[in-house]
Amino acid sequence: METANEHSTSQSVPVRHSRFAACAQVFRLTLRRQFFSRQTIVTAVLLGLSLGITALWAYPKSWNPDPRTSAQLASQILSPLYMGFLLPIICLSYASAAISGERTGQTLVYLLTTNIPRPLVYLAIYAAVVLLTLAVTLGGLSALCLVIDENGLEAFRVFSTVVTCATVTYVGLFLLFSAGVRRATFLALAYALMIETLTANIPGVVKRVTVSFYAKSWLYETGEPLDLAPTGAALGLFNPVSAASAQWVLALASVGFLALGMWVFSRKEYD
Amino acid sequence: MNAATPATPATPLAGVRNVSKWFGPLMALNGVSLEIGPGITGLVGPNGAGKTTLLRLLTGQIKPSLGRLEICGHDAWLAKARDRIGLCPFGDATWDELSGRQLIRVTAGLRGFTGAGAHRRAEVVLETVGMADRANRPVRTYSKGMRQRIKLGQALIHDPDLLVLDEPLNGVDPVGREELNDLFLALAKQGKAVLVSSHILHEMDQLADRILFICRGKLLASGSLAEIRDMLDDHPLKVRISCEAPRRIAPQLLTFESVKAVSIRPPEDLLLEVQNPGRFYAEFGEFAAGNDAQVHRLKATDTSTEAVFDYLMERASHPK
Repeated sequence: METANEHSTSQSVPVRHSRFAACAQVFRLTLRRQFFSRQTIVTAVLLGLSLGITALWAYPKSWNPDPRTSAQLASQILSPLYMGFLLPIICLSYASAAISGERTGQTLVYLLTTNIPRPLVYLAIYAAVVLLTLAVTLGGLSALCLVIDENGLEAFRVFSTVVTCATVTYVGLFLLFSAGVRRATFLALAYALMIETLTANIPGVVKRVTVSFYAKSWLYETGEPLDLAPTGAALGLFNPVSAASAQWVLALASVGFLALGMWVFSRKEYD
Repeated sequence: MNAATPATPATPLAGVRNVSKWFGPLMALNGVSLEIGPGITGLVGPNGAGKTTLLRLLTGQIKPSLGRLEICGHDAWLAKARDRIGLCPFGDATWDELSGRQLIRVTAGLRGFTGAGAHRRAEVVLETVGMADRANRPVRTYSKGMRQRIKLGQALIHDPDLLVLDEPLNGVDPVGREELNDLFLALAKQGKAVLVSSHILHEMDQLADRILFICRGKLLASGSLAEIRDMLDDHPLKVRISCEAPRRIAPQLLTFESVKAVSIRPPEDLLLEVQNPGRFYAEFGEFAAGNDAQVHRLKATDTSTEAVFDYLMERASHPK
């Protein structure tokens, strides 16, 4: 190390750029840290298992030699396995760890003590998590659809828009959990399993608080060619809303979760 | 020296005005007022005194329950204030998967530097903290002292006016301490305000221009080191002396004005209760030189920071 008289930190300090550049750094840092994380390993394992199950399901059997159709893929794999389980799990694994992970790792202080206003820090983290999660969820969806070759393209077209919107909504919700509580992953898991999985399948109006209800309602209307919607009494019990209403609810919920998350993050005193 | 009242340095960069902070039933800070100006200010207090809470308030991580904090005229909670502050937090945590160089570049990016500007600035800072030649290793492989240096680099990246360092010498070897102290002094010479917290009083001996004593959430005293020393001269101290003939010299020691009590601890120890340590050491030096005392060892037994703070607390509670 140099001697005391030689130290000078203020020499040649370059002109700094906009706050946008600082936010872009938060975005890149979050993207990198979330991608190279345990979450990616867990997600890869789950997607790998799902692909294996789907490949076994799609393999021609002696009692059923015909190739699988898009409608079968949608009703037997994508709706129950992907939409009902994988999608919320992938979203929660990234979103719930984004802030609470930095907090438990005691590195959040470096983001909180920059000169970036806290709402912008949150927005940059949100953008990074949405991008990464969308890449994984849409990538996973396309991989599952490709298991039955070109037959799966129709299912991908129907599901991809709904998956995109549901992903954005889930990320907003789970990132809000992450901003609010230290162990957000446990809370998000409990929410995904108890509320999204159980409540979403019981009759009545309680399920209207879940994201999956609106995603399913949307799919039932736009997925008509795939024959996704239940019929008769089952449809009455589910009582879906229209696709337009579902889109509005998901969009408003996404914006609401984002705004609430920014508000919580900008006011909370993190330890 | 002011006991429990703020000292006022010239051109304060940070102002703390009657700030209290509580977490549920726990009062971490209680009506603290102080100002921090250019130069090195030592924030000294035992563990749990409220030092880290004060630093977190100054760096805008938490809000005061009562009172106001200003950094260069801006509310400490606002982003504008954080532009003027660099923080080296307590603890080792940082983004360990990055190399030291990447970490400093990322920190430069977080402060708005881009491209070649970020790289240039990172190299200047790495050179400053003495890590340029070791910066390509992952941070997770660094020793404690290297981590402190790289964290210091993170704090310096945007050339802040006020540098807040939470126990920066913790775990650093003596050579490293000397080097870091040199760096802090150089930064102070540039007109920066450097606030260094520590629970070890003597760490501030060679370093701080001013010392703030904090204990149990209260600012007990503030002033220059000389003023603090004057105050501590009244601090009663226990001194253990090992010598050949304790029974012979004990009555003679009792004649010293600074010695309040003497007890003999066989086989060859004396335990003295001393009122004014500075005066005692002078008197004892003369006595030992003029008599055949055959002293093997002399050691103060209660010079810990906690003992000093207990004394200051008592003094603050019952001023003369």
